Amino acid sequence: MTRGSWVNWGVYAALMAGIWLALAGGMPFKVTGMFLASGLAIGSLYALGGIGMVVLYRASGVLNFSAGAAGAAGAMTAWQLVQWGLWPPLAWVGCIAVALALTLAYGRYLAPLLAWRETVVKAVATLGFALIILGLVSFIWIDDPRSLELPTDQIGIVLFGLRVTATRLMAFAAAIAIVIGIWAFLGRTEIGLQMRAVANARDLSALLGIPIRRVETIAWGISGLLAGFTGLMFANLIRLEPVVITFMVIPSIAAALAGRLNSLSLVLVGGLSMGVIESLLTLSPVLKGVRPIAPFVIAALVLLWSQRGTRLTFGGRD
Amino acid sequence: MIQIDAVTVRFGGLIALNEVSATLTAPVAGIIGPNGAGKTTLMNVVSGFITARSGQVLVEGQDFLRLAPHRRAQKGLRRSFQREQIADDLTVLENVLVQTDWSLTGARAKRAEAMEMLAVVGLADHAHKIGGALSGFERRLTDVARCLVGAPRLVMFDEPAGGMSVEETDRLGDLVLQIHGLTGAQTVIIDHDVELIRRICAETLVLDFGRRIAFGPTADVLADPKVKAAYLGTEEVTA
Amino acid sequence: MDRSLFRLTPSGSTGLIFAALCFAFLPMLAGSYWLSVLTSAVIFAMATSGVAFMYARLGMVSLTQVGLMGIGGWVMLRLNYLFDWPFEVNMVLAALATMICGWILALPALRMRGLYLALVTLMAAGGLEILFATYQFPNGGEGFWGVKIGSSDPFRRPWLAQTPEAYLRYCIVIATLGFLFIEGHRRLFPGRAWALIRRSEAAAMAAGVNVTLYKTWAFGIAGAIAGASGALLAGSLGLLDDGTFRASESIMLFALAIVGGARFWLGAVIAAVLFRILPGLLNTWGVDTDLALVIFGAGLLHALITAPNGIAGQIHDLVARLRGGKP
Repeated sequence: MTRGSWVNWGVYAALMAGIWLALAGGMPFKVTGMFLASGLAIGSLYALGGIGMVVLYRASGVLNFSAGAAGAAGAMTAWQLVQWGLWPPLAWVGCIAVALALTLAYGRYLAPLLAWRETVVKAVATLGFALIILGLVSFIWIDDPRSLELPTDQIGIVLFGLRVTATRLMAFAAAIAIVIGIWAFLGRTEIGLQMRAVANARDLSALLGIPIRRVETIAWGISGLLAGFTGLMFANLIRLEPVVITFMVIPSIAAALAGRLNSLSLVLVGGLSMGVIESLLTLSPVLKGVRPIAPFVIAALVLLWSQRGTRLTFGGRD
Repeated sequence: MIQIDAVTVRFGGLIALNEVSATLTAPVAGIIGPNGAGKTTLMNVVSGFITARSGQVLVEGQDFLRLAPHRRAQKGLRRSFQREQIADDLTVLENVLVQTDWSLTGARAKRAEAMEMLAVVGLADHAHKIGGALSGFERRLTDVARCLVGAPRLVMFDEPAGGMSVEETDRLGDLVLQIHGLTGAQTVIIDHDVELIRRICAETLVLDFGRRIAFGPTADVLADPKVKAAYLGTEEVTA
Repeated sequence: MDRSLFRLTPSGSTGLIFAALCFAFLPMLAGSYWLSVLTSAVIFAMATSGVAFMYARLGMVSLTQVGLMGIGGWVMLRLNYLFDWPFEVNMVLAALATMICGWILALPALRMRGLYLALVTLMAAGGLEILFATYQFPNGGEGFWGVKIGSSDPFRRPWLAQTPEAYLRYCIVIATLGFLFIEGHRRLFPGRAWALIRRSEAAAMAAGVNVTLYKTWAFGIAGAIAGASGALLAGSLGLLDDGTFRASESIMLFALAIVGGARFWLGAVIAAVLFRILPGLLNTWGVDTDLALVIFGAGLLHALITAPNGIAGQIHDLVARLRGGKP
């Protein structure tokens, strides 16, 4: 990593530490640690959502706003399958499969129709797809409180004197594992190399004979798999409600922006710090009502900071 | 007078311009060189779209590199791009008026000047034609007219004759020759059409791989063996 | 044909006639429920025009227009209970406050590529949704937030427009002024700068246009119009509900602006009708309103892929063809 990104890592870490001291300083770790654990889990999901977006964006130029909706559709399907008596692990696979299918369908059939349009137009089109999915899901399943349980909810693991539910640990571990996995994939496999080439210079890659369609499909696939997984986890850790899960795409965007739509490690650490700070704000009597805004504020500050001293330039392709 | 002083531009590891220096004094100067030599990069540095790693550009003594791109235009810089940039929704006249909208002089005077310059390029009759309805050459002429209004001091053309017929190129060349007399501005023109450069440019700068390889009166430069080698390669004879 | 500020185009005269007819006849057609729905549609048509012109003329995507309306509505309500100023003064202040808030929200993105504005405004929409849900809308209570339990204090409508019919007419006039305000900008130098920016930001800068300033200006207009619309909505309903200003509403409004046709006043009207009246109709016919989302989403995809000028654009083409001209 460059010195610049070490600085960014440092800033996030300092921010988290600062908020921790300000809000949780005087309290026992047993109490505040719960918020830290919960924040890391949710932050992991934000980061995973962000990573899915960045990988797809870099490979195809599409910023996929429908990832949340695909996840919501998957989560509701999983819930329904469990209601019908299916063995839960198969239902979870079903969740991921539905999200993958929806995402690939868009990538294969609709995205090519907009391939030569501006980036903004391609992103706005995914919003249309998100509305369609959300409408159908809301139509099929009436508005009722539901929950999605995972067996790991019952298991508690003691870490640093804290009892953490296994689900939260799984979310965090998954985020780390997936980031490492994608980094290895991009850095060490041939397809990963091709994906990096396409992300860097699409036209040149096509001229070099790199199979753009195949690379893109794989990118859409990764996006769909992540959408399914994060949808399932959001359903469990936050709420199984289609609208809520659909709009979890917003903090995912915040995490993606924290990584400047580019660096996966920064998306990870940005997403984690957003989750942690949001969670820690519960301890502040003044700010706890508006703590869900934390990711946005952080992302806005990151953007402002990244623009300091620059003019609008045209050196690169963005 | 334009002083380009040791301008260096790097894109990551690639050195696009390497300590390029030249002082352009002729009314019309040319910049030529093979593809990828850095000609457009140099123009982008002067107009502000690329930041130079080091070096200076002084236009009539004014340090340009400190100013934001739109401020350079307000100080007399004019630039046309490889593709003409005409707004389809505006008329020819409106496209030209944009150039002077920033200044506070009276609307009537600005309009009159715009019509005058449109007459010079030969588009006075089309002043109220919508941009979307213009031919490629008419769009380029509108571009040129836009470069002439508002007291320009330095007009830069980037391959203006691209995609044009011989007559259109000639007409463009004639127009460029009139610029100094009309407005007092200097013109710098990048093009691949060596005949055009030979005809209208009194002095020429030649770039290759980001370095200046020749500069001076056009005839001398075009006869320079280094320049020929850059374009045509050195001969390799195999027995 | 020289294009002066006050020229009347066929589309423009049709628009003014349409506004006049609405002014004259619309209030007479409706019972009290539909009167409220129509007023809401007029207000949202005005808000749509703000977001539509930014997209059509500058390619700028704002996904938080309804959220900004919420700010305008909040300011209007707070001022209404705090002071005794006339409705019009409060509306102007609401518009200005929303413009400034809009600038603050969009600041991180105005100097960056268009995609970032879409992202930042989407996040802003999410943030505003949370703020409105947490702090609610003023209804006569004390303190900065002005919220109290129990029934709300009375709301003072404009002196000219006390009855629902009169208020609908009032909104039609304000909305028409809003449309003319934008069109006026388009015909003068801001419109020229915007057109060149749309073509190429680099070319605009090379022509001496301060691109950031003009983009900021455009966003400011959209914000002011959203603020005024929100203020009118507060006046129409007397109180506001945070559910009206959710992020999904902003997204749908933008989607419908494109479906209707972002370049045309008719497009904004169609968008508002779809946004406010279609769900009501679906309800009356017993169709699940969730399907409206599906229709809107499909409409957006269709418009983006095949009909970039929206329904209004296709109507314009049809009219041009019928008149025998070139579409």
